[in-house]
Amino acid sequence: MMRTASPAFMQNLRDVVEMTPLLVVLLGLFGGALVLGLLQSFGYAPWFGINEFPTTRYFERLWLSSDFWFSLGLTLYYAFAATLIGLVISVPLSIALSKRFKASRLFSALIRLPLMVPYTVGIALALVMLGNGGLLSRMSAGLGLIDDPSQFVQILKTHGGCGIILVYVWKQVPFMTLNLSAVLARTGDDTVEAAMVLGASSRQIFWRVTLPQIMPGIVSASLICFAFNIGAFEAPLILGGGYPDTLPVLAWRYFQDANYAFQLQGMAVVVSLALVSGLFLAAYLQGYRRFERARGRV
Amino acid sequence: MIGTASKLRDIKAINPWQRLLVLAMAVFTIAPFAPLIIQSLAFRWAWPNILPTVWWFEQRQRSPFPLAWDYVFSPSSRVVEATINTLGIGITVTLLCLVICLPAARVLGQRTFRGKNQLEFLIALPLLLPEAAIGIALLMIFIALDLAGTYVGVIIVHLIPTIPYMARTLTSVYQGHGTDAEDHARVLGANRRQIFFRVTLPMILPGVIAGCLFTFLVSTNLFLLTFFIGQGHIVTLPTLLFAKISGGALDATGAGIALIASVPGVILLIFTDRFIRNYPLAE
Repeated sequence: MMRTASPAFMQNLRDVVEMTPLLVVLLGLFGGALVLGLLQSFGYAPWFGINEFPTTRYFERLWLSSDFWFSLGLTLYYAFAATLIGLVISVPLSIALSKRFKASRLFSALIRLPLMVPYTVGIALALVMLGNGGLLSRMSAGLGLIDDPSQFVQILKTHGGCGIILVYVWKQVPFMTLNLSAVLARTGDDTVEAAMVLGASSRQIFWRVTLPQIMPGIVSASLICFAFNIGAFEAPLILGGGYPDTLPVLAWRYFQDANYAFQLQGMAVVVSLALVSGLFLAAYLQGYRRFERARGRV
Repeated sequence: MIGTASKLRDIKAINPWQRLLVLAMAVFTIAPFAPLIIQSLAFRWAWPNILPTVWWFEQRQRSPFPLAWDYVFSPSSRVVEATINTLGIGITVTLLCLVICLPAARVLGQRTFRGKNQLEFLIALPLLLPEAAIGIALLMIFIALDLAGTYVGVIIVHLIPTIPYMARTLTSVYQGHGTDAEDHARVLGANRRQIFFRVTLPMILPGVIAGCLFTFLVSTNLFLLTFFIGQGHIVTLPTLLFAKISGGALDATGAGIALIASVPGVILLIFTDRFIRNYPLAE
């Protein structure tokens, strides 16, 4: 009896073995990054000859500087604005794409294109469209609005960040639309049809039927986009207004500094960034749960 | 009855506003590529002209090839090297990711156990943490392990954003697949290897291909982690383009590189649209 293990046990063992590679990679990379990041931000870096663990002075120095809070504000502003604008476009767009119209497949493929190209391509497009020597500037000159590139309204390289937000929106609307389209396709038209038969107006159908149905898709898509936007680096670096930068750019600048000690400061930025992102996502999920509970779905 | 039916709107009919929105978004998406293409073919394109004053073919006795493209395809631009790197890393990451995720997806898709929800959350976590934070923290570890600036390091780090997509796709594939066919094969005396290669794999292949295509796409488009971990030694199309435009200006060669960097995505767009209806992302 002892020699032959039970089939159930073998099956469980097989499950564990098959999960292992994934867990090793995730925990190794993630756990490692997490532990080391935390250690360093609290002053542990013996390889630079620095070991003040545990010290909070890197966080103190960071959190007491007004530049940090400005950077944090910028980071959150870009992330919020882009996610919100993206949603406002994607929700009606996904509904429109679920309708029947000519060349609908061609159009939905065209609209998906930004999803398939790198962010850096989006940034290049922003430069060629929105820069002072860009196409919009040339068009304004053609309309007689301006007669020198420098008179063109500054869209890029400002803390207003229109360029950054536009690149995010351009890149993320397809992602959100695709998510929402999948949810729409899964729910089908039955409830909408029922509402129509019962005499609901288009507006009522949208607010009372469709929107609550696609809410899970909205939440998951906006969570992913928001988290991405908070950590985005290249768009704020190229299209942003310079110092004070967004937090990821700030962290990178600390890391590029010739003085190694600044890397610990950079790690404090990184940990703060992860903390802020985590807090916002947790609050968002909590709010969503409450919403679903209020509707009696959970 | 006929009266009510005629009063009802056609549920699939598109209204003019929706038509306008679709059209506007298509223009917003595609139109910016026009100046990019024009710029890569221009010889002289001074402000404020909407179109170039001198196109390259008017100067073809001076350069038989558009200047920008001539540079893009010359060895000094490193475009060829970057393309090979991008494709090579993408394929390696995809295969590695598949090997890691396929067995795990079977467990996640077909078995029930305690802590499964938490495990699925852990797998989705890379999508919810800022990439810059992960990248910088990992860079320190990779420098210590001598992996920074190497292909191995870049390939490992590409697993982070690709695993969530691949695992999710394959999990839902296994969920939909069930275990009936495998049970029949087992009863008929097939061994485990035969079951996997003769029964399971052919049946789940469409889902596996979808997951692979998307993983490849995520990897080829990745900039930040390649840039941080590659330390400038590993040049891919996104990082090459970044180096070209980081000054905040785009010249003709930058336009050419941007177009080249879009090619894998455009090919995959056509490919996926033809062969795959359900995107792994959309779940």
